[in-house]
Amino acid sequence: MNLKEWIKTLTFYEILLGMKATMSHLLHYKPITLQYPHEKRALPSNYRGMLALLRYDDGTEKCVGCDLCEAACPSRVIRVVSSEVPGEPTKRYSKEYYMDMTRCLFCGLCVKACPVDALGMTQEYEWAVYDKRQLHLNKQQLLAIGDRNFPVREKRLEFQHPNVAYFNVGFKDIPQKEA
Amino acid sequence: MDTGIRLALTLGQIGAVMVAVLLTVALLTLLERKVLGWMQDRMGPMEVGPYGILQPVADGLKLFFKEDIIPAGANKFMFSLAPVLSLVPALIGFAVIPFGPDWTVDVGGVNFKPFVITDINIGILYILAFASIGAYGIILGGWSSNSKYSLLGGLRSAAQLISYELNVGLSIVGVLLLSSSLSLVTITNAQGGGFWNWYFFAWGSFPQAIAFVVFIISSVAETNRTPFDLPEAESELVAGFFTEYSGMRFAFFFLAEYGNMILVSCVATVLFFGGWHAPFEFLQGPESLHWLTGMFWFTFKVYGFLFLFFWLRATLPRLRYDQLMRFGWKVLLPIALGNIVVTAIVEYIFP
Repeated sequence: MNLKEWIKTLTFYEILLGMKATMSHLLHYKPITLQYPHEKRALPSNYRGMLALLRYDDGTEKCVGCDLCEAACPSRVIRVVSSEVPGEPTKRYSKEYYMDMTRCLFCGLCVKACPVDALGMTQEYEWAVYDKRQLHLNKQQLLAIGDRNFPVREKRLEFQHPNVAYFNVGFKDIPQKEA
Repeated sequence: MDTGIRLALTLGQIGAVMVAVLLTVALLTLLERKVLGWMQDRMGPMEVGPYGILQPVADGLKLFFKEDIIPAGANKFMFSLAPVLSLVPALIGFAVIPFGPDWTVDVGGVNFKPFVITDINIGILYILAFASIGAYGIILGGWSSNSKYSLLGGLRSAAQLISYELNVGLSIVGVLLLSSSLSLVTITNAQGGGFWNWYFFAWGSFPQAIAFVVFIISSVAETNRTPFDLPEAESELVAGFFTEYSGMRFAFFFLAEYGNMILVSCVATVLFFGGWHAPFEFLQGPESLHWLTGMFWFTFKVYGFLFLFFWLRATLPRLRYDQLMRFGWKVLLPIALGNIVVTAIVEYIFP
């Protein structure tokens, strides 16, 4: 150990250097904290939040009960009970539709799998509840989430290009859905 | 009659000092979190009251109403005794600290010193003695909890306190040589007239700056503060010796830790930085205002030291146990001993 290092050790040089660093942070105080419940960060437009079932602009449900979302889901969140539309034997719809959001990992595979864009991801994330059974959502609740997050609905499927994603119309900056 | 007046005056003084210390503790809990937050680019508590200034009230209420749990298999008597044993020595040390000028007031035929509860002639020994009794509270609390973490924390604390108390005791010997007194009032009075008379600088004699550094490091270790907070190492021992404590018993340990911090800051102020004396004579003001300026300078210096405690905590990581022991015995102890020898020689040659 040479003389310079001895002097550095004796005068606590490194410790003083560290204390200077903390003091400079105190003097140039610029907090990076976001006071969460009072101020919220701006979410990116491709934020994957709460799932929702969507409707056409005349109020009919988009879902045709094909079960593809159920098949695509890696966490087995979705359960679909499919049924014929009464009086129209060629059309089907989801009689019951359940999502167990306690298991959902928000991967968005169900949204990608949906052939008619009946599923959407909203920007909602404040879904902490006291009873976890409240996170077992049925069809009405999912439709309500869709209604309140996407008030402007699209035209019926037969009046628009078949592969235009429902919510990709609103967000031009994100990658378009593969055909 | 005289006894009655004296009793009333002393009890009033004790009450005033206790309230002042406990209020300072409440303030410190907030200040520490705030200062740590600011140093780490955070905000600290912000929710309770404007800018979180009512946080100590909320903390106090929470601790007061919490359930008091005694773990199964714990030694109930020792478990209840330990927090008291650790809090009382922390508060009792303030009895000999002079907060202001050394005045003697005549109240109804009783000589009364308004700024020191009792000026006993072995004041500093008294503080050291009670500081080591405080260690019993920590060790007993760790042992009686029937928990391995607590026991480890208590054992660490025992070894740490023994090795660092020695350094505290030795580092102040230089000051005692210069002032030739153990009374804190006499030591303070000897440092008046300007900052060059403070024993940190000690104009005309051997400066006690090195002793001060040893004292401050040892005090940080003795009050179990970062970077020497091994007895309560959060990342290793959950909370160390008070892992099993909750509610008011936990609050007692908490008060004891902060009370010790304040006490150590007061002792450092009195011994090395002139107590209530201003750095320059003209800042002390006229004789009749000495009580005000004296209290101001004393508080100012004490808060400076408390800020140093926070600053160290914000900067330094925790030492490993063998590093702590080696530093205490192999570095600080020889420095403190050398300081005594050099001070004694200088004092002998230039009395």
